[in-house]
Amino acid sequence: MLDVQEKLKEIGPYVPGADDDMLICRCEEVTKGEIRQAVHAGMFTIEEIRRYLRTGMGLCQGQTCGKLVKGIVAKELGVRPNEVEPAVSRAPMRPIEMRILAEDGGERE
Amino acid sequence: MKMTADVIIIGGGINGCATAYYLAKKGVHDVIVLEASDSIGHGGSSRNGGGVRQSGRDVRELPYAMYAVQNMWPHLSEELGVDVEYYQRGNLRLGKTEAHLQKLEKLASGARALGLDMNVVDGKTVKEICPHLSEDIIGASWCPTDGHANPMLTTLAYYKRAVELGVRFITGAPVTAIQKVRGKARKVQVKSGEVFEAETIILAAGYESRYIARTVGIDVPMTTFFEECLVTEMQPHMFDIMLGTADADFYGHQSKHGSFVFGSDSGLEEATDMSLGELKTNSLTASAGCRAIMGYIPKLADAKVVRTWGGWIDMCFDGVPVIDTVDEVPGLILACGFTGHGFGTAPAVGLMLAQMVVGEKTVVDISALSYDRFRSLK
Amino acid sequence: MKIERYDLIVIGAGPAGLSAAIEAAKQGMKPIVFDENAKPGGQLFKQIHKFFGSKEHKAKIRGFRIGEELLQEAEQYGVKVVLNATVIGLYPEKEITVKIGEEVKHYKGDSILVATGASENMVTFKGWTLPGVIGAGAAQTMMNLHHIKAGDRVLMLGSGNVGLVVSFQLMQAGCEVVALVDAAPRVGGYGVHAAKVARLGVPFYLSHTIVEAEGEDHVTGVTIGEVGPDWNIIPGSEKHFDVDTICLAVGLSPMSQLLKQAGVEMKDTPGGYVPVCDDFGATSVPGIFAAGDVSGIEEASSAMIEGRLAGARIAEYMGYMTEEKRLLRAEELEAALSSLRQGMFAPENRGKLVEKTEEGIPVSMNLLQKGYIAEDEIERYPGVTHTVGVHPVMECTQNIPCNPCQDACSKGCISIGENITSLPVVVAEAKCVGCGMCVASCSGQAIFLVDEESEPGYGTVTLPYEFLPLPKEGDKGVALGRDGQPVCEAEVVGVRSAKAFDHTNLLTIKVPSDMTMKARFFKRETA
Repeated sequence: MLDVQEKLKEIGPYVPGADDDMLICRCEEVTKGEIRQAVHAGMFTIEEIRRYLRTGMGLCQGQTCGKLVKGIVAKELGVRPNEVEPAVSRAPMRPIEMRILAEDGGERE
Repeated sequence: MKMTADVIIIGGGINGCATAYYLAKKGVHDVIVLEASDSIGHGGSSRNGGGVRQSGRDVRELPYAMYAVQNMWPHLSEELGVDVEYYQRGNLRLGKTEAHLQKLEKLASGARALGLDMNVVDGKTVKEICPHLSEDIIGASWCPTDGHANPMLTTLAYYKRAVELGVRFITGAPVTAIQKVRGKARKVQVKSGEVFEAETIILAAGYESRYIARTVGIDVPMTTFFEECLVTEMQPHMFDIMLGTADADFYGHQSKHGSFVFGSDSGLEEATDMSLGELKTNSLTASAGCRAIMGYIPKLADAKVVRTWGGWIDMCFDGVPVIDTVDEVPGLILACGFTGHGFGTAPAVGLMLAQMVVGEKTVVDISALSYDRFRSLK
Repeated sequence: MKIERYDLIVIGAGPAGLSAAIEAAKQGMKPIVFDENAKPGGQLFKQIHKFFGSKEHKAKIRGFRIGEELLQEAEQYGVKVVLNATVIGLYPEKEITVKIGEEVKHYKGDSILVATGASENMVTFKGWTLPGVIGAGAAQTMMNLHHIKAGDRVLMLGSGNVGLVVSFQLMQAGCEVVALVDAAPRVGGYGVHAAKVARLGVPFYLSHTIVEAEGEDHVTGVTIGEVGPDWNIIPGSEKHFDVDTICLAVGLSPMSQLLKQAGVEMKDTPGGYVPVCDDFGATSVPGIFAAGDVSGIEEASSAMIEGRLAGARIAEYMGYMTEEKRLLRAEELEAALSSLRQGMFAPENRGKLVEKTEEGIPVSMNLLQKGYIAEDEIERYPGVTHTVGVHPVMECTQNIPCNPCQDACSKGCISIGENITSLPVVVAEAKCVGCGMCVASCSGQAIFLVDEESEPGYGTVTLPYEFLPLPKEGDKGVALGRDGQPVCEAEVVGVRSAKAFDHTNLLTIKVPSDMTMKARFFKRETA
């Protein structure tokens, strides 16, 4: 069980950082500062961060930024990176055109 | 950790978060929200197509669906301080056959009888509303006041504001039972054994509400249904309307971001054999969805699907939720069985649940959503 | 829907996947291997350097040749390899969906091996998203597969084996590596790889990291700075380089998403998010196996053995091999695997400073900090001796699992012994004939033939040379020391190329006698 208010008190208020404008998720253009602020708004899990900011939701599906986002969230929460559960894996593992995905042997109307 | 509050809300989905926010706004700050998973909005709240619609609603639901569209959604982003990406540009339900049009006309005339602006338009008008659609479409039902929003952002925006107003959210706290104390619902037990206590308990935990309600002798007839969505990569802007079809083979919209989000099915979902804890997409569904979508929006053939996801729908037996206090269990308010269309109504439902807690009259009459409405059918 | 079924589906035709498929096929299985790339072999085909290890690990063979051998073996045993086939989902009942051409096909496996490898990590610094900041692996792909120069002036971040090997290959391709930078205080990769790069004149900046990549629409420069104890940049320590390319060699992350989708139990380790596996690659889901980098980053040589172990385990699981037979095979393979995991760079030593070799000799700190062995350190190693006439000088100073030099010398001049990680020793009583086989056989390019006085006042040094154009006899230039700085004038007195040398040419240079223990590379005079 995690009490969000208690955790927010524990991590203290958001303090702007010199490199807050650094892009972390290139596909969706999310900066380090946005991720840090989201944590201080109560988004403690990678799922919440994704849903709130779209990190890892672009073409690469987090292949590049997944580890970076985890590191930033962990640091902000004061935990080790491996204590932050990574995002779920969703098919398709690579982006695929609708017309190709449609050709899977299923019935056509 | 303080284990007591004025109100405990079981379920950190959009209805729970919205209720917490409206309670706090009304001055009830001593609220605890218990969320079973580690993430807020992890169930249907983040796993739906984002429709904010009135069309196609049951007569028992339509009043508060319309209330939300008229009085809440238009200024929700401003109120919550987060852009929830609400677009009110109408809903087209597309038809390709005469049978489709007959079905749509029936739907539209029913809605008109309830006071909703909805009619059937011909193929030419459909083209005017949305020029990107297939030539095969001969008509559609059109509800210009429908729209869509971003469910993930809306849920988290309510959560964020509620947190700012002092509501206490506890994640990773699956509730196992509610217990009465001196004839009143009072204790809420979580899986790890801890017991929370409150004057009022709101149960808004999706299908899991059923298991929890049973612990105080209430059963809501519900089933589950697993529904999937696919998401495309960012596309150039095409349209802001919400789309559906007479055959219900897909529904969806283009998000503010540019990606399309479409719900679809393979037709085999009735036979899904998967536990509620699992959220595995099927190997057939996305492909079936692509075929259906391309049949109506051929331009998307080259759009790449980047992601698929699915979620559980708590299907109430008669298609509308239970939103009610429970006479035999004073202090308990049920809010479950939203049947896959609870997102668009969540602002109104949250507001009304808050009103019920403080003893106000709800903004619209919802007495038809009582928990004791179910009778044997034969 | 009728779904095509195989008794083994392998996802990924890299070293682990192919090895597993071969091993299973040897037992009578009919595996199918899918790979999203146009060519099989995973990362092997861009590895143009010679591998370490012993004969059984295919030591001193270049990576791409190992890939070719693996493909031949796969064909021989009837392994079906489908290329340009992207597995996009792994579903219950061990069903996969595969994008092949313009369609998606469904397959089921009675067993599935996921061998999807890894992808490169990124680090952030100001300007890290500028074009020109690329992964070292990507640079390697550009150069060695597509024959495109990755850049003209390159800064390499990361001193692990990838950073070192790719730096060397960048120089081979004609790029200038202006600096090799690592935030760690010590070189992470093999000392011999570092020494190869350092003697080309590439400066090493340990305890340094990138402060900023400069440029408007592409990289035009980079600033590095020294990392203080608090991991912040020490003010005033900044150094600037004009570069057009920044290569990042900062580790790999397993591409384990398919396993996660399949519901396999996962664990988050410092080496990445990996499936929980037994020693033979079996995951928590019966019938789903994992091998190679996807289950933990290691060298390709280890991945091949891991693949074979998993292949044998799968053959047993599917009833093609008795447990007894499989255990025997596993014993053999595990012995090979454990020998690869020995020495200073063994998994248990990761991140640790090993101060002494197994022989009790202090490790060269200069090598760890600057990439080359200092002159006052070199004499203490058993491969470095002095004698009259030509003799090998082996500047191999760390315990790594590698022994081809011992077999290379038909005269018995070199001894490593039973323990594959022991340092090579010069056998005093044996007589070197100067054939140069040891020089060409050393994957670390750490062996030189030295004749301290071939004529009055002058001696010769024979060194491994893998650059083009190849100098000619009579070419004059300068000899470079271990640190890449000029030490004296030098003249090429011999150039040898032989099939047995496998593209490692032997250059013999004439230098003053007192320079024979200093001159370790040759640079032609530029007109």
